[in-house]
This record gives sequence, structure tokens and C-alpha cells, in this order.
Amino acid sequence: MAKHDTPLLDELEKGPWPSFVTDMKRQAETHPECWDILGQLELSFKDRITHWKHGGIVGVFGYGGGIVGRYSDVPKQFPGVEHFHTVRIAQPSGLYYSTKNLRSLMDLWDKYGSGMTNMHGSTGDMILLGTRTENLEPLFWDLTHDLDQDLGGSGSNLRTPSCCLGDSRCEWSCYDAQDVCYHLTMHYQDEIHRPAFPYKFKFKFSGCPNDCVAAIARSDFAVIGTWKDDIQVDQAGVKEYMAGNYPANGGAHAGRDWGAFDIKKEVLDICPTECMWMEGDELKIDNSECTRCMHCINVMPRALKPGKEKGATICIGAKAPILDGAQFATMVIPFIEVSKDNEYENLIDVIEQVWDWWMEVGKNRERVGETMQRIGLPTFLKVMEIDAMPQHVKEPRSNPYVFWKEEEVEGGFERDVEEFRRKHAA
Amino acid sequence: MVMSVEEIEAAMIEKATKSPKPQLYVKDFYKCDPDSKPRVIKNIANGLVKKGELMFWSSGSTTMYARPDRIKNEEGAEGIN
Repeated sequence: MAKHDTPLLDELEKGPWPSFVTDMKRQAETHPECWDILGQLELSFKDRITHWKHGGIVGVFGYGGGIVGRYSDVPKQFPGVEHFHTVRIAQPSGLYYSTKNLRSLMDLWDKYGSGMTNMHGSTGDMILLGTRTENLEPLFWDLTHDLDQDLGGSGSNLRTPSCCLGDSRCEWSCYDAQDVCYHLTMHYQDEIHRPAFPYKFKFKFSGCPNDCVAAIARSDFAVIGTWKDDIQVDQAGVKEYMAGNYPANGGAHAGRDWGAFDIKKEVLDICPTECMWMEGDELKIDNSECTRCMHCINVMPRALKPGKEKGATICIGAKAPILDGAQFATMVIPFIEVSKDNEYENLIDVIEQVWDWWMEVGKNRERVGETMQRIGLPTFLKVMEIDAMPQHVKEPRSNPYVFWKEEEVEGGFERDVEEFRRKHAA
Repeated sequence: MVMSVEEIEAAMIEKATKSPKPQLYVKDFYKCDPDSKPRVIKNIANGLVKKGELMFWSSGSTTMYARPDRIKNEEGAEGIN
């Protein structure tokens, strides 16, 4: 039986889609505090203001992240949500769960929390919504001792690193994304569990340019698999696609009749750099123009494969729209070898070079992408000791003001600037 | 002159005690020893939390530091937002 009248929320159950209101009402049958979430949300709808206070000093001993304090500002009216803290749990690499593990986690959350979850947060971790302060330490003990799992990152910490399925299932993976993710998670335990930076910092690892974890859009440091040499082409396979013997896109669009496969219409004409053409019945690719969009490989996976010389591209500075709108990451290093043999040392060197600069120059609550934007890419490249290259240029000639330094100009500045200014007073 | 860890710790505690705002960002501690790298200051700040001299305060997206006696517990009468 409902504890509060929720006429406004009830409207949300009338649409064609599953409603979180229905889910919460069902959950309230076993966790009565969920009635108070609904009651408080109804009040927020009426008052047009949130009644959550977020943030605080709650946490577990030794950790400076993983728990986000949340309190009601109307606790007398809704005592079930007086405390409603969020717990972030590090997800397994590639989101491989066993049903046993999921059941154990849900049992744990039924015991200590509201039973409500968010699978997964945009950082990637499992988010358990709603518990009281006194439950945090027992929950943490059981989580780490019985389930052998750990909290994720929050606050000004390195956030829980996340990755795609990588080599485990994907033939396009250009490096072992899961292994890198796990290695760096272990390497940076201190940064994950205790604050380290001016603001949050996220790693994401995608095995190929399809970027299944959207690293380029969601992470401060995106490692996206790529290759250096040419796309591997099996001309016999191309002929099979053209003959209609192999389904395009691995049969992904087989639910509807799209007509016969047309390589010109479906591949060649929509290549973003127009770097593909047919010579007779042979597919030709100008690999120097390829931007690794993956479209042709996605359409004809049995005929085309990434090259053999594999590694990753590093893009830095993506973020969601708090300041200046959302931004994609900037490509900084077009190709870097990603090798387990040296324990990903070259990747770690780049990460720490970025951190050292950002920790010094970044303002409070400024993402690294915002610092890069404020300081400018040329300065950032100098800090990173990377020579500028055409791939760094987003669009040519958008800024006509190029300030040369004397040492960059052959012969230096011979003109007497003072004399010049006397004749050309502002 | 190079400051010892103990001297930096004392400067940080003093700053956290006397600052007009009870909660400080890690960058606010950088000036306690301008010669130390930010990572060193960060490690000392986290060490002070371990010793109970400072406390974390997190909004969920940002983490700040404060002297325990200067921040009220939200669960008490005077909550902080």
C-alpha cells in the first residue's frame, strides 16, 4: 500500500515505456524506504527544486572515494531517505559478470541498502543507490572479503578504469584492452581510492576504432586501438560479399530486406576520405588516406581486417557538458605501442606527463580537456614533448594570429621593435 | 631552503585551521611549499587524513580537505551542502 500520494509521478507510468516509478513501487514492497524516495521526488516535482543534499564526509576507513554522501533536506517528512548514500563498485573488465557474482552483489545490497541500482554509471562502475552511514563499513567488509571486489573511484580521484571486451571476443582488437585496464587499475590503486587531482580523471580503453566504450567522448585519457600499416584485404572475400554469399555487417541488419549488397553505395561512396575504389573486381585502398573509421571493416568483416602492426592512438580531454559544452578528446599521439612486455611503461609515461602538468596548471574543478583548451594545444604539445603534425590540426586557418618566437624565425627579428612602435603608435 | 615533510605538514595544518573557508582543495595547499611537486603535496595531504589531522569532504565529483573540528557532520543539526 502506497505510503504517499504521488499523482505527478503516477503520470510517468502511463507512457508506452517501462517506468522507473513502477520499478520503485515494486521495490518498496520489500524495501519500504523506497516509498520515501517516491514521496520526496513528488515533493520535488511540486516545489520544482531538488530535496537531495549531496556530498559529505561519509566514506570507508582508508578510502577517499567510492562513496558519495547523499541526504534528504526534508528528513522528518521522509525518514527512509534521511541518509541515502551511493556506493560505487568497480566493475569487472569488459563487464564480464557471472550470474553467481551478480546474485551475491544483489544479496549484499538487499542486506545493507535499498536494493536499487544503476547498471552502470557513465564512468562504468556499478552504482548501488541508497544506504545509511552505519551500513557502509559492514558492506565494505563483506564486499572486499566475501566477494573479493572493490569500490570504484569518485571525487577528485582517478575514476574506475573501463574497457571493451577486447581480445576476449573481438577479432578487431588491436591491443589487449582488458589486460591494460586491469594492469593500470592495480598500478594506480592509490589514485583510484584517494583524491589526487584538481578534479576527476577517467581512463577508457577501446581495442579498436569502433570505440565500444566511447572512450573518445567520455574519458580524459582515451586509449583507442589502431594499426600502422595497411588494412588486410581478402579479395576472394570481397567477391563473396559482392555476390551476396556473405551477409553484410555480419548479418546485423538481416531483419529487413535491404536489397542486394551494393559495394559502391554501401562502402566506397560513404568512405569519409574516399580512399577506396574498385579496379575491375579488385578492391583498392589508399591506406595513407584511411582515417580508421572502421566502416568498411564493419560491413565486410570476412574480407577486411585491421592491419598487422597494431597499437593505439591516445586522445586526451573529453568531457561532459558542465563548462563550455561537451567536448570530444583531442588526438595527441597517433600511434603508440601497447606492450605487456614492458608493463605498459610507455603508456604510463604519457599518463604521468599529463598528470604532472595538469596537477600544476589545472584550476580547481577543471578537467584536463578544459585546461588544454584554456592553455592551447601548441603549449600542451610542447609540455608533452610532441612535435605538432597535420593530424593535430582540427581545421586549417581558423586562427590567423600566429605568434612566432624569435628563435623560430630564421635570422631572428632584425627589426628594431621599439623603433617600429614609435612609427606605428597604437 | 628545502622543507621537511614535518614542516610541510605543520604548514598545511595551519592553513586548514586558519583559512576563512573550512574546506580546501588540494591545490590550496601547494603554496605551503612552492618547491614541492603537486604529487608530493597530495601525498602529504592524504597522509594527514590517515593521521586524523585532516578529513575528506567530497561532493561526489570533487574532493576537498578540512580539519575535522571545522566541518560539521551533515547528520548533526547543521548540515553543509
